[in-house]
Amino acid sequence: MNALTIKDLSIDFPTTKGVVHAVTDLSLSVAKGRRVGFIGESGSGKTTTALAVMQMLAEPGKVVAGSITLGGTDVLALDDEAMRQARLSRVSYIPQGAMNSLNPIMRIENQLWDGITAHEGATDLETLKQRSNTALESVGLPARVGRLYPHELSGGMKQRVCIALGVILTPDLIIADEPTSALDVVTQRHVMQTLKDVQDRIGAGLILIGHDMGLMAQSVDELAVLKNGELVEHGDVRQIIEAPNHPYTRELISSVPLVGGASFLDDEVGAPPINRGKPGVPLLEFRGVSKSYGAVTALQPMSFRLDGEVPKIISIVGQSGSGKSTMGSLMLGFNPPSTGQVLFEGQDISRMNAVEGLEFRKQVQAVFQDPYACFNPFYRVNHALKFPFKQFGYAQSDAHVQEKMEEACRAVGLDPSLVLGRYPHQLSGGQRQRLIVARALMLSPKLLIADEPVSMVDASLRATILKNIYDLKDRYGISILYITHDLATAYHVSDYVIVLYQGHVAEAGPPAEVIGNPRHEYTQLLIDSIPWPDIDRPWGTPSTAAEDAERLDRMAQNNKTEFRGKIPGFELDIG
Amino acid sequence: MARVPLSYVLNRLITLVLTIFIAATLIWIIPRLSPVDPAEIMLGRMAAGAGSVADSEAILAQLRANFGLDDPMIVQYLKYLWNTLTLDFGLSTATFPTPVSTLIAQALPWTLGLMILSLIVTFLIGNLLGALMVWEESPNLVKVAIPAAMVFTSIPPILSGLLLMYVFAAKLQWFPLTGAYGLTVEPGWNWEFAVSVLHHGFLPALSIVIVTFGFWALGMRGLMITVQGEDYVTLAKAKGLKPRYILYKYMIRNAILPQITAFALKIGLLVAGQVLVERIFAYNGMGKLLYDAILDQDFPVIQGVSYVIILMTALSVFLVDLIYPLIDPRIRHEGA
Amino acid sequence: MADLSLTRAERRAQRRIRRFDNPWLNPKLFWGAGLLLGIIVLGILGRVFWDPEMVFVGSGIPKLPPPGFENLRGQGGTFAHPLGTEGSGRDMLALIIIGAPNSLYVGLLASLIGMSIGIFLGFTSGFVGGRTDDVIRVLSDVMITIPPLLILVVFQSAFGDVTLTMMALLIAGFVWQSPTRLIRAQVLSMKQSGYVQMARLSGASTGHIMFREMLPNLVPYLFGSFIANVTTSIVTAVGLEVLGLGPQRIPTLGRTIYEAINAGALIQNLWWWWGIPTLLLAIMFIGLLLINLGLDEVSNPRLRKLKV
Repeated sequence: MNALTIKDLSIDFPTTKGVVHAVTDLSLSVAKGRRVGFIGESGSGKTTTALAVMQMLAEPGKVVAGSITLGGTDVLALDDEAMRQARLSRVSYIPQGAMNSLNPIMRIENQLWDGITAHEGATDLETLKQRSNTALESVGLPARVGRLYPHELSGGMKQRVCIALGVILTPDLIIADEPTSALDVVTQRHVMQTLKDVQDRIGAGLILIGHDMGLMAQSVDELAVLKNGELVEHGDVRQIIEAPNHPYTRELISSVPLVGGASFLDDEVGAPPINRGKPGVPLLEFRGVSKSYGAVTALQPMSFRLDGEVPKIISIVGQSGSGKSTMGSLMLGFNPPSTGQVLFEGQDISRMNAVEGLEFRKQVQAVFQDPYACFNPFYRVNHALKFPFKQFGYAQSDAHVQEKMEEACRAVGLDPSLVLGRYPHQLSGGQRQRLIVARALMLSPKLLIADEPVSMVDASLRATILKNIYDLKDRYGISILYITHDLATAYHVSDYVIVLYQGHVAEAGPPAEVIGNPRHEYTQLLIDSIPWPDIDRPWGTPSTAAEDAERLDRMAQNNKTEFRGKIPGFELDIG
Repeated sequence: MARVPLSYVLNRLITLVLTIFIAATLIWIIPRLSPVDPAEIMLGRMAAGAGSVADSEAILAQLRANFGLDDPMIVQYLKYLWNTLTLDFGLSTATFPTPVSTLIAQALPWTLGLMILSLIVTFLIGNLLGALMVWEESPNLVKVAIPAAMVFTSIPPILSGLLLMYVFAAKLQWFPLTGAYGLTVEPGWNWEFAVSVLHHGFLPALSIVIVTFGFWALGMRGLMITVQGEDYVTLAKAKGLKPRYILYKYMIRNAILPQITAFALKIGLLVAGQVLVERIFAYNGMGKLLYDAILDQDFPVIQGVSYVIILMTALSVFLVDLIYPLIDPRIRHEGA
Repeated sequence: MADLSLTRAERRAQRRIRRFDNPWLNPKLFWGAGLLLGIIVLGILGRVFWDPEMVFVGSGIPKLPPPGFENLRGQGGTFAHPLGTEGSGRDMLALIIIGAPNSLYVGLLASLIGMSIGIFLGFTSGFVGGRTDDVIRVLSDVMITIPPLLILVVFQSAFGDVTLTMMALLIAGFVWQSPTRLIRAQVLSMKQSGYVQMARLSGASTGHIMFREMLPNLVPYLFGSFIANVTTSIVTAVGLEVLGLGPQRIPTLGRTIYEAINAGALIQNLWWWWGIPTLLLAIMFIGLLLINLGLDEVSNPRLRKLKV
């Protein structure tokens, strides 16, 4: 018995600029108890299809052809009231934005109860209470969570509440729309395990929407690959991962960086890196630097020296709250350290005069996480490139600036005529992030802080942008501090890796040691939690979730650091 | 609720005390900056108006005391602060020797009644209409009619008061032109009096309501549009909740929160608007008292009325701020 | 003009799209600005083509209606006084020619000064932070609850007559709070934004960050706040005038209404006396409301989408 059958479905969005065909001729079915992954990039039609099943397409979207059958009922023929009844009781939806999906001013239990009473009519409080408690416990949350408000829960807990809500009326089909996209890898694994577990128990079909081939491989039975609204490949997950037919599927699989796998960087040896350091003086030095915000310690005292004579990429790896971004802002001088000193070429950056300050800015640049926020919406994108170039006195004439901008664009693989002179909102996230890299290239600093440079761009572009950044080191002799949550990319690009946990260095050393053969419990946990496009790899069971939580607590107590070897030109010390 | 953090309450309390203090100080300083001696001028005006002034020495002394002409400035100021704290504003010069506080005590209930009624009605109607303008399920008529009605709402209440008064009181004579109750009825807890009060209060209240609901409706519309795009509203729909339930529990309940803050901020302006409406309708409240005092140059009354209205405003703001954490659970934890 | 092959409907649709693309081409903004401009034009042309001196001397028969109407005494209107006369025989047309721009002047001046204070304090508060921020924040929290009208009533009762400019200055002392709060909040959020951090990395001075990076993005909000303040200022000024305070010798719309009410114009059916100034004020406020609605749509694109 199929939970869902979609036949020749087409969905159009008529806009002022013509009709957009969001989904074309899509046919697919989901059997009860089966997990089907919908994978594709943003705009591929995966979420639109799911919303069509819920009859919740955003205006002006319309189903123009085909049929959707939900366990024998033609969804498109249902009237508003019947459709309302079908939602949650027959098909439930677990949304993407776990952070904002719960009503902030209602207790969790009330938000579970109103779903029940909307379908079953008034029910006595005792029964409601019992059912909400059962639902919460089924996703591994204690019953007392029901009395709390959403802002009192962590992101992972909120997403589990959404799962509890999705199964409370035992529907035939669950649609989970990127349920873990906002969570870090450890939490992601827990939430996915919970989801698979409860879905198994109630025997519903599951549609998992996502863009991460690794997550799909470790979670679903069947895979549907969508591109531009068309189903390009559909079949058993093992068959697709191991022998993909469509070139797009192959691209999706290869875009997942693997620890120890083939590098996405070209192995060709370029010209020997340019030496730009000042001999004898370290480029960047931390002397007993720590940072706390009130009672919260964001970064425990640490010291390091980066020589910079031979450019290096140092990766700082950690989950949210690990203190990695705090390190970045300390290095940029955006935040003064609570103790210790940050020195650039031997000078304390908090004690620089105007001239030295400008020189420091010239030599230390950054690429930030959010390519959408980095451009002032008021100006054309040129402003972001032109302004610092002039400010630092590099500009000889307007023609010279223009020439340099075009050169930098080409160096990062952008066509200058397509991007320069545009407003930021006219460019894609990938284009903007590459422009920021081009900006760094134009200014050619000695040091670049890259804070999560690819976490907000589409998966297929990540490798390209990382390659652009990697080139900065090789071709232009820029030392790079790469701040990231992603161990796999850190493995490939860096010369040295520092793993942070709650502001403390857990493990540090060359990537082949730290990531390739981790010794610290925390690094191991992180690597185990990364989903890989490998079906046979064990990815834990629901019971590991509880163990992991205990392990994390234990690790927070003990401040042990694993030093795993040294590299020339970089020294790290605790305290 | 007991969980409202102390620092939050303390913070609000400081703002309240500061507001009262600054208002009282302004009221005290301003007449002193005047190049003329208000006491002399007033006495002169009273004398000119009445031919002669009985007890002129006493009045002059009281005026001088009020303006602090005998003691050192600082002593006067502290005395004044203490007096205002105990709601003692001295004696009225126009109806000497009635204490200002007595006059205010007579006028205040009328103003409070009118204020509470019109403010609450406006707030409820305005927000409801604003919400309906955005709600997907509202009838089309609502979506067309409300923006059209919005044109009225740009006008200040005095102007609407004049128009309503002209049409419904002067022309159609459906409502009395002025006053808070009929001259023939006996004030007291009886049916006749109550009807008369409602009859007289209707136009002043209406003139405030029709011109201020639009402010709330417009604000609510913007907020509702934001809330409509929130993930929790999408999820509420995916939960198969009934549209009306979503409208109330998920959309309005969230969108109204900033409106309540705005309510606190706007109380001052609304009350000032009401003072003017009372003056037009010669309604027996603070507005009329203030207006008569201005005509009579009755300075202690002017000061007292201004102070009490500001005090009322500050207290309402304080109350709204105190209630706020009860409807927004997030405040209880942040504490600011 | 190359689109001759298109039908008229298609061209209209295209124009609508273009208008959609440029939010400043908003019909509400046009209409609102047009109404206000009309009042200014009335003031200018009126001074050229009509005798504004009639405002000071009661040159006509008192309480004369506009032509085509009769007052209670049975006197008909004449074209010497196209909008009639008020209680002491002054010409209503001359009165609004002088009075209406005066109200607008007070509103604009007070709001302009209030905005300047607000921009200064808002930026200071957002940038300097610490104690300065605390003081400015608490002060604006406090001042926002004090109704300007009442303090001004005390002021003018003590000082007697004031000039228009003086009144505008006094009102300005009460309309800086909301722009201060608005700018402070925006500055605090923009300080964290990527483009301001990028500008800091580019070695930009604080001045550059404030005026070149932040201020342009604040423009729609500043405009909105400015217009709202003009409204508040005019309401306050008119309120004072209706209470019989405010400038005594300069004709204003509010003072005319005050005199009309005092003379019992409502009961005597002298509708033009209070009605014409009321209508002009209403036009002014509707103009301001339209501008504000238009600006709302400029700064909040979601409002625009709602109507397409």
